[in-house]
Amino acid sequence: MGLDLTTLSQQVRQMSSATAQGAAANTARMARVAARYHEETGQEQHWAAAVNLSRESFRWLLARPVEPFDTARDLPALPANYALVASDGSQIDLDRHGSAAYYLINIGRVFLRYGEQPLARLSSAPMLYYRDEDLYLGDGVNRVSIEGNYLSARRDVDEGVALVGLADEFLTDDLPALALQDGTLIRWTLAGAERFVQTHFLQRYLAYLDTMRQRNIPVASYISRPRSPELVGVIRLMFCPDLDLSAGRAAVCAKCSAIDATGNPPCAPCERLVDADILAAQLREGQRGPLCISMSRINIESYGDHLIHFFYLRIGHELARIEIPRWVAQDPDQVALVHALVYDQAARGAGYPVALERAHEQAVVRSADRRTFQRMLEGSLYRAEAVVGMSAKQESKSFVKG
Amino acid sequence: MLQRIGEVIESATTRFTAGVYTLLQAPTVGTLVRAQTTASDLSVYGLVYEIRTVSREPGGRAVMRGRTYSGRELYDDEIYQAHPDLAEVLQTEFSALTVGFRQAERYYQYLPPHPPPVHYSVYPCDDAELVAFGGTSDFFRTLLFSPQIPGDDVLATLIRKVAQAHPAGHDYLIWAGRELASLLNEDYDRLIAILRKIKP
Repeated sequence: MGLDLTTLSQQVRQMSSATAQGAAANTARMARVAARYHEETGQEQHWAAAVNLSRESFRWLLARPVEPFDTARDLPALPANYALVASDGSQIDLDRHGSAAYYLINIGRVFLRYGEQPLARLSSAPMLYYRDEDLYLGDGVNRVSIEGNYLSARRDVDEGVALVGLADEFLTDDLPALALQDGTLIRWTLAGAERFVQTHFLQRYLAYLDTMRQRNIPVASYISRPRSPELVGVIRLMFCPDLDLSAGRAAVCAKCSAIDATGNPPCAPCERLVDADILAAQLREGQRGPLCISMSRINIESYGDHLIHFFYLRIGHELARIEIPRWVAQDPDQVALVHALVYDQAARGAGYPVALERAHEQAVVRSADRRTFQRMLEGSLYRAEAVVGMSAKQESKSFVKG
Repeated sequence: MLQRIGEVIESATTRFTAGVYTLLQAPTVGTLVRAQTTASDLSVYGLVYEIRTVSREPGGRAVMRGRTYSGRELYDDEIYQAHPDLAEVLQTEFSALTVGFRQAERYYQYLPPHPPPVHYSVYPCDDAELVAFGGTSDFFRTLLFSPQIPGDDVLATLIRKVAQAHPAGHDYLIWAGRELASLLNEDYDRLIAILRKIKP
């Protein structure tokens, strides 16, 4: 028996009414938190220093503001002609119960040019990895298998490398250009990884950013419906009674002095709020919010010149989060270009960038394709007289036995 | 030799479908086309009876794009200019009913030994070829009695095209009309409808 929909429907109704009630209570709380944020406009330097001071001892994610809190920059003029490259990837993860050890990464590649000579080139590039050096990473003592999060990290790197290839192939004239990625530029998945794994992937990833910087092609990534609470972290600091910048006293969550009778700290109103909730009211269509630096550990410690900045951009009912490396963020012209191009892409795509939509379409491995590929692989292994076989568990799942 | 106009993407005994390389640039309905086969002296003739532009994605559909996100109105080709990716995700293709073949310089108006292979090229026919193929009427029956295709219209269009290319076009029309009359001698209304379509 599969999913029991009759039992489930009751739970679905309960969930819906609970969600609706929660939303109403949230609105008032959100207004209070946003008001606290706006009170501090003009004090960005103070809070930037506070963020630096409390970074280590603070339990919540933080962002360091680079521009005034109330920034709402209008949409810059779109260049008459522009080009962009984008990539997206998908994977077939290592299957422990499958016939052989391998994984597959499929990268969707997109080039688009708009204006007087519109042109598009869409393609995908699959790569099958099965050698020992593809399947494992080691430093002589430790050895880890490339699967799950590590495979995602490898795919992220491959997506970046694909952008370099696309730039080589297509961005050879001097049109305004952009390299766009889906998701974040901060490799969170590596944050908890072992040192040698982190080094292995980050080196390659940062090398890709280096190359794009040398070619002066701004890199940006697009996060739809972002859930990050980094600016909210700054507001938590604003609520914190322990923080005293003049005395050099950081906010230390572990030693919070103001936990009330119900066990809530003073920053509790910020609970479950995200940056987009705070900025929603201040950004009109096409406007972007303040530039900030993400204070996540991996960004601060490993990204160097590529230190990831971000801003929020209003596109319809959604605030999208746009991430850019420091060398883009420090050039106002490039920030304006990213702002204009990303918005135009989303507008052409009815709310989501066309280039990313197309890259995803190219990258996605549909279940029919996956089955065909697996049959092809098994047939080929069989003909090559390689030893293959499903695990007993896999076999047990293949059909319902009477 | 004329440039190829398409590539076979579906092939069966009685009909074949070809994709074109430039979006929306398909040969017109009623065009006689020639598909290459693996044997260099054998080519298959088809008559275009359907043209369609569809998503390359199975089950995919186009969406309306004439009103932009900011409310600007785009018309016709402007939409293609604003979305160059459309040329990469849409595909124009045409289907042709197999009406005969040519082997060793002789024309045969019945089914070829095998259909054109998938991915082989499809060419337009020049005037001489059109006149030579149209000079025999055995394929008229194939068109008139093939189910689920607009055979009457396709045949009428072809006859007009042959007449235009023919050195004695008017005589050709009279001859073709008589051939039709003998094929449709039990269906006067249908015959008249086709003759009206042929009338220059």
